Amino acid sequence: MSRIEIKNLAKSFKEDAVLSGIDLDVPQGSTLVLFGPSGAGKTVLLRCIAGAIEPDSGDVLLGGASVSDVLPEHRGIGMAFQNFALFPHMSAYDNIASPLTARKKTGDQIRKGVDAVARLLKIDHVLDHTPKALSNGQKQRTALARALVSEPKVLLLDDPLRNVDAKLRFEMRLELPRLLSDQGATVIYVTQDYREAMALGDRIAVLDGGHIIQNGTPEEIYRKPATINIAKLFGDPTINLLDVVPVSDASGVHAMLSDRRIQLDPGLAGYAGKECVLGLRPEALSFTDASDGVPVTIEAETPFNEKSVTLVTTLRKREILLSRPSGTPAPQSGTVHITIDPSDAVLFDRETGLRIDPNGNNQAAERAA
Amino acid sequence: MDHMSPLERILRAIALALVVLFFMFPIFWIVLMSLQTNETILRSPPSMAFVPTFKNYAAIIAGRLDSNVASMSIHFMGNLMNSVILSVGSVALALVLGVPAAYAFARHKFKGSEDIAFTLLSFRFAPPLLVLLPLTLYFQSLGLANTYVGLIWVYQLICLPLILWIVRGYFEDISPDIEHAYRIAGHGWFATFRKIALPLAGPGIAAAGLLAFIFAWNNFVFALVLASADKQPVTVGALAFVTASGIQYGQIAAAIVMSIAPTLLLALWAQKYLVEGLSLGAVKG
Amino acid sequence: MSVQADMPVMRRSSRLSRTMLPYLLSLPALLVCIGILIPFGTAVYYSLQRYRMSQPWNRGMNWGENYLNFFTDPDFWNTLQVSLTYAGLTVVLELLLGLGIALLLQKRSRVNNFVSIMLLMPLMTAPALAALMFKLMTNSNFGILSYFMQLAGFQDFRWASSPDTALLTVILVDVWVYTPFIMILLLAGLRSLPTQPFEAAALDGVPRLEQFWRITLPMLSPYILTAALFRLLDSIQQFDIIYAMTQGGPGDKLMVFQVEAYLNFFQSTNVGRSAALLMILWAITYVLSNIFVKNWLRLRERARGEA
Repeated sequence: MSRIEIKNLAKSFKEDAVLSGIDLDVPQGSTLVLFGPSGAGKTVLLRCIAGAIEPDSGDVLLGGASVSDVLPEHRGIGMAFQNFALFPHMSAYDNIASPLTARKKTGDQIRKGVDAVARLLKIDHVLDHTPKALSNGQKQRTALARALVSEPKVLLLDDPLRNVDAKLRFEMRLELPRLLSDQGATVIYVTQDYREAMALGDRIAVLDGGHIIQNGTPEEIYRKPATINIAKLFGDPTINLLDVVPVSDASGVHAMLSDRRIQLDPGLAGYAGKECVLGLRPEALSFTDASDGVPVTIEAETPFNEKSVTLVTTLRKREILLSRPSGTPAPQSGTVHITIDPSDAVLFDRETGLRIDPNGNNQAAERAA
Repeated sequence: MDHMSPLERILRAIALALVVLFFMFPIFWIVLMSLQTNETILRSPPSMAFVPTFKNYAAIIAGRLDSNVASMSIHFMGNLMNSVILSVGSVALALVLGVPAAYAFARHKFKGSEDIAFTLLSFRFAPPLLVLLPLTLYFQSLGLANTYVGLIWVYQLICLPLILWIVRGYFEDISPDIEHAYRIAGHGWFATFRKIALPLAGPGIAAAGLLAFIFAWNNFVFALVLASADKQPVTVGALAFVTASGIQYGQIAAAIVMSIAPTLLLALWAQKYLVEGLSLGAVKG
Repeated sequence: MSVQADMPVMRRSSRLSRTMLPYLLSLPALLVCIGILIPFGTAVYYSLQRYRMSQPWNRGMNWGENYLNFFTDPDFWNTLQVSLTYAGLTVVLELLLGLGIALLLQKRSRVNNFVSIMLLMPLMTAPALAALMFKLMTNSNFGILSYFMQLAGFQDFRWASSPDTALLTVILVDVWVYTPFIMILLLAGLRSLPTQPFEAAALDGVPRLEQFWRITLPMLSPYILTAALFRLLDSIQQFDIIYAMTQGGPGDKLMVFQVEAYLNFFQSTNVGRSAALLMILWAITYVLSNIFVKNWLRLRERARGEA
């Protein structure tokens, strides 16, 4: 009924192609996070789905039926805008009620519906205020309430936490997943915050330069990023990227770091001698007492609440970040050794920036298929 | 600015006083004249000491001018009424036609929309007589010569471009997302236009309507060329009145005061709305 | 949330009706204006004709003859000269005066706001009526301005009735009516200027007069240009003030384009010449209005960008 499918959609403004070749399939009741830097075309894609703008080509299907000839008001979509887009001349109550009045509900039904969703989002005390009199957090909740109130089967949320303060964003990041699963709607959620993406998405589609460059579960995106760019976008501190040239010999495939061998997946043998980039997540590295670890020098340590980040340098003065849970003991200074879990290492082709899949079929081939 | 010398302060005050004197004096003097009899007006040297009389106004309102030579009837109140009908009618028509068009130009960049908008704007700048003189001939054959309808139609030359361009700017200032949000909430385009676009552009529509009213009221040449005697507004009527009434200067002054009072009062009442329109949108209220 | 959600029936609408909507919205306005474009075409047609209403038998196309005749027609050159003089003098005077007043009123204070509201009054006065007001004030029997002139030692200063001072008189009325317009636009411009350059200059001890020449004037120049072009466009077409004051007289002293065309049409009933005159005026205003619109839109963009 409410599965969202997008087929080969393209949109350009004047000469600039904003979106091209977009294919997406969001099963009923699941949440897809649309992730990407600003200007990637996320908002434009949402508007195409909502009908606010018309795509140049391609199709949008809701519940299996094409909606390209259906006006926005007849698509039955709930949408929250990044800039809230509240009606400035109406009270919060009337803002939230607008989808219900459009559906010709009785006054009683409208009141009950608005009150329920306002209580849920804790804005029932400001319903008679105009948007001007609301705080950013209240505006954001009002916008969300307006999207939710008619219990739409399709929800489009355009970076709803972008313009709210850090505390509220933290709270909402905890609340939203429950709220969305309670709704049972099919959701497309746009964000630029990888944590939000990981927390909310059943799947994440990474949009960049108008293309979907990877579409997978949060786990896949994090552990097997399709490109160096994606690897950099997910994770904090960002992934360590080291230029290496893998070597293949009798003992297997390896790369050199601080004169030590880093064992790589044997499937990467074909890349021996090629210029590559080795991606190491900071949390995949740990200090070790064993002297066969990689020798490094500790440069600086930055404690955060839940983790500590250490900057170390290799013998060739390459900088590496290490992250470990706060409170775990670690050497303070001087030359120490670290170990690397080879299964956490990702190898990228330096020229194309694409991840090299140990099983032979690299991402480029996958995408072409 | 804050460290003005006393001399500069005084010079500024004098300059300001001169400015106010120059721009307010004619209005002030005409009002004074309108409250005098011919005898006091013709005194030399002129003096501000006189017993004010409302006889001039009474004569105009009653429509009878009595001088010591003769008595004649005038219909200046008819001119005033014509001005009201023509101005209100033109502004109403311009709003009905112009606001939807302004919305279309602001929201839908359709093919040729800019060209059409500029063509409409260019009417504002073309010599009015260029269109008016041929129109006199057409009006005869179309039967519009003696009607308000014909005049109101031609008044669109000044009202429509004004409304179109001011209101269009206001529509463009409304975030399209707000309208999209209302559409997606389930409302049709017309409901969105009525409930979102119109209220949000309200101040702009008021400003444009007000300016259009004032320009229509103050217009002279359209009615001079096209209006028959019984359809003439005050601007044309006052000129005829000057010739007809001869030396009844107080009454001429009273007629002028009654003709300019509506726009002046309107401007005082709504000056905030006017300034943006008058400064060609170069300032945002 | 007790409200039952029901998926609205997905009503389809044709693509055609959606693309037609903006045309439908602007169509009524366009139709009204097309009615105005037809007389414009007629005027072009008349301007190429030998056409006097008093000699209907003699009517016929003479193509460019009306225009060619202008070259050897001293009346035409008089009209052109009077129109340009009038437009040039009014615009320059109003600019100088308007800029001066705007500078006086630049600081926001209650007195200044009051004065700027008062200055709206002349602008709200119908120009034709303003001309009548000045006609009363310059009446040789009782006019207050004539009396002032007498006091100043000018006996028998005859204002609009004298060929020597007629132009001065109508320019005075124009200045009275339209200076506030320039003042309002320049005041808006002045108040929208960024303050940092002035603060920096004040810190550096740059004299105020130099600040005006080096900072204020250059930054204000787009506003000045827009105001000047707008007034020039109106002023070169001035009809109301001149017609109400003297009907183009005394003699042909004030025969500007539109007054001359009006009298040609209604008094000498020379329709062809009248139309050709107006076509020339239209060509002048067309060029001016294109320059104006370009400047104006740039200015408006800027104002909206800042808001």
